[in-house]
Amino acid sequence: MIIANYLCAVALFCLGLYTILTRRNLIKIVMGLSLMEASTYVLLLSLAHRPGATAPVLLNPPAGQTPQQLAQGNVADPILQNFCLTAIIIGVAVTGVSLAVVVRVAQHYGTLDADKIRAMRG
Amino acid sequence: MGTAALASLAPLAVVVPLTGGVVALLLSRLSARLSRTVSVAALAATAALLAMMAPAVYRGEVLVHYLGHQPPVAGQVLGVTFGVDAWGLTYALIAAVVGTLLLLYMFSEQDELGSRELGGFSCLFLLLVAALIGAALTADLVNLFVWFEVAALASYALTAFFLERPLALEASFKLLVLTNVASFLIFVAAALVYAGHGALNLGQIHVALAGRPGLADLTALGLLVAGFATKAGLAPFHGWLPDAHTAAPGPVSAAFSGIMVNVGIVAIGRLVFTVYAPAGRPVLGLLMGLGLVSAVGGALFALFSDDLKRLLAYDTIAQMGVLAVGLATGSGTGLAGTAYHLVNHALFKSLLFLCAGAIVHATGATKLSEMAGAGRRMPWLGAAFAVAALAIAGIPPLNGYVSVGLIHAALEESHQYPTYAVMVLAQVVTIAALGRAAVTLYRPARGEFERAERLRPGMLVALLLLAGACAGFGVFASPLVGHVVAPAAQALHDAPGYSHALLAGGGTVSHGHVAFDYFAPAELVTVLMTLVLAAPLAWWATAHSGARPIARMRAIQTGSVNDYATYQAVGLIVVVATLMFSALADR
Repeated sequence: MIIANYLCAVALFCLGLYTILTRRNLIKIVMGLSLMEASTYVLLLSLAHRPGATAPVLLNPPAGQTPQQLAQGNVADPILQNFCLTAIIIGVAVTGVSLAVVVRVAQHYGTLDADKIRAMRG
Repeated sequence: MGTAALASLAPLAVVVPLTGGVVALLLSRLSARLSRTVSVAALAATAALLAMMAPAVYRGEVLVHYLGHQPPVAGQVLGVTFGVDAWGLTYALIAAVVGTLLLLYMFSEQDELGSRELGGFSCLFLLLVAALIGAALTADLVNLFVWFEVAALASYALTAFFLERPLALEASFKLLVLTNVASFLIFVAAALVYAGHGALNLGQIHVALAGRPGLADLTALGLLVAGFATKAGLAPFHGWLPDAHTAAPGPVSAAFSGIMVNVGIVAIGRLVFTVYAPAGRPVLGLLMGLGLVSAVGGALFALFSDDLKRLLAYDTIAQMGVLAVGLATGSGTGLAGTAYHLVNHALFKSLLFLCAGAIVHATGATKLSEMAGAGRRMPWLGAAFAVAALAIAGIPPLNGYVSVGLIHAALEESHQYPTYAVMVLAQVVTIAALGRAAVTLYRPARGEFERAERLRPGMLVALLLLAGACAGFGVFASPLVGHVVAPAAQALHDAPGYSHALLAGGGTVSHGHVAFDYFAPAELVTVLMTLVLAAPLAWWATAHSGARPIARMRAIQTGSVNDYATYQAVGLIVVVATLMFSALADR
C-alpha cells in the first residue's frame, strides 16, 4: 500500500520537526534532523515505486530476458533511488558535523540545554 | 573564441576553486606562503574565467554545457547542465571578485594564524565560493540542491572556525539546524517536481509547467521559496543570520553577508521567473510581503542594536527584503534594480563588515558605544565605513542610489504607492541605524582602546578597492544599467528563450531595455526627505534604546534555536498555505 508509505513519510517529517521545535536538548534536536532526513528517504523510495516493478538492475537479467527488455519493462525509477543514496551520504556528513559542534558546545557551555545556550539575543 | 568553446569552460568556474581549495589545504603542510598564493590565484583565475564569458553572455547569449557531453535525447536532458546566463553570471562574477578580495584581507589580518589553520580556512572558503558559483550557473534542480548543501556545510565550519570561541559554536549550531531544515525542503521539492514531470533540467521543467501547474508543483514551489528564503535570511526565516554574522571572523561575516545570503535571492529569482513563469505569479505577492516585513523589521532591529556586527547583520536582513521587493515587482525595471542591488550589496556590505572586523581587530571593541573615536584614530578606515554607509543610504553619486532608485521607479510604474511608502520608511530607518554607527566612530574617544594595532597594507588595499567600487558603480551607472543589468533582468524575463537555449545546447535571450533617469526629481526629493527624517530618528533612538516597547520588540529574537525553528516553520506554513489558497481560489 503506497499511500501508507506517504503517510509514514509525512508522519516522520512532522515528528522530526516537532522534536526540533520542542526539545531543548541539542542531541535530541540533531535526532530530530535525522528523523526529517529519514522521512525524505521514505518519500523518495515511495515516489520511485511502480506497481509490480522489479529493481532497476540491468546486469545479470533473469533467464530468457535481455537488459533492453528489462529497461523497457517495469522497473522502479533508478534516479530517485540515486537521490536517496545522495541524501544518505549528505545526511551522514551533516550529522557528523552537527555532533562535532554539539560536543564542542557541551565542552564550552557545560550544558546541552538550548535555553541556556543563548548568549546572543536581541 | 567560439560560443561552444566558451560554454565548455563553464564547469571550470567551479572546478578551479574546488581544486584550488584542496591543493591549498595540502600545500599548507609544506609552506604557508605557497598555500596562500595558490588559494588567491585560484579565486582570481575563476574571476578571470567568468570575465571571459561576460562579453558573449551580456550580448544575450546563454552558454550551455552538458556535463559528460550527454546531449538531450528527444527534448529529455539526461545529465547535469550548466547554463550561463546574464543573471547567474552577474552574481557569479561578483562572488568571485569579492571573494578574492576577502581572502586577501583575511590573509593580511590573520597573519599570526598557524599554517594548518590557514590551509583549512582557505579550503573552506574556496569550497563556499565554488558552491555559490555553482548554484548560480547550474540549470539542474538537484544540482542546485547539491551546491546549496555544499555551501551550507562550508558555512557551518566557517562560522565555528575559531573553535575556542563559545559564541561561534552557538551560532554554528543555530545556522546548522535552520539551514538543514531548509535543505530538506529543497530536496523534497526537487523530488516532487521530478516525480510529477520526470524532469530536473530547469528548461525542461519550464516546458512541463507551461500549462496549469498542479497542487504538487505549487507545493514544491512553496518549499523551494521557503528553503531559499532561509538562505537569504528573509523574515521569518532569518533566525540564524544575526548570530552567525556576529560570531564569525570579520572576512567570514563579510562573505556570508556580501555573497552567501544573496544566493537565496538569485535562486528564488531563477525559479520564480524562468522555471515557474507564468504560473509563479501568486508567489510575487508573497515575496512582496516577506520583503516588506524583512526590510522594515531588519532596519528596526538594526537601529536599536549596540553590537556593530549585529547591527550590520540586521541591516543585511533589511537589504534582502529590498531585493525581494525588487523581484516581486516583476517588471523589467524592478528586476534590473534587483540585479544592480545584488551587486551593490555584495560591495558595500562586505566593505562594512570588513571595517567592523578591522575595528574589532585594531581596538578590541565590539560594542558601538565603545568604538567612539575609532574613525579619528584610523582615518582611512573611518572614511571607508562612511562611504559604505552613504552608499547604503542611497546618496548620489554612490551605487546604492541607482539600485534603490530603480526599485522605487518600478513601484511607481505599477502605482504601488503604499508599498513605495513602506520602502521609504525602511530606508529612513536604515539610514538612521547606519548614520548612528558612522557618527559614533567620529565622536571623541572616551579613553584608551583595549588594543592599539595598526591596519596592515593588505587590509587597507581591500577596503579601498571596495570603497572605490562603491563609488565607481554609482558614477558609471548608465553603461552598467544598459549593458550589464538590463541583460540580467532580461535573462529572467525571457523564460522561453532561456529554456529553449538549455534544451538546444545554446541560444540567446531577447534584448530588454531599462531606462534610468539619474536626475529624476522625484528620486532626489525622496533621498533628501529620507535624510531629513533619519537624523531626528537616529537621535531619538540613541536616547531611547532602553525603552520598554523596544525591549519587548528585541525580545522576539530570543536566542533559542527552538524559537527560531518555530518562526521558520510558521513561515513555511504561511508560504505553502498562501500558494495553495491562491491556486484553489483560481479554480
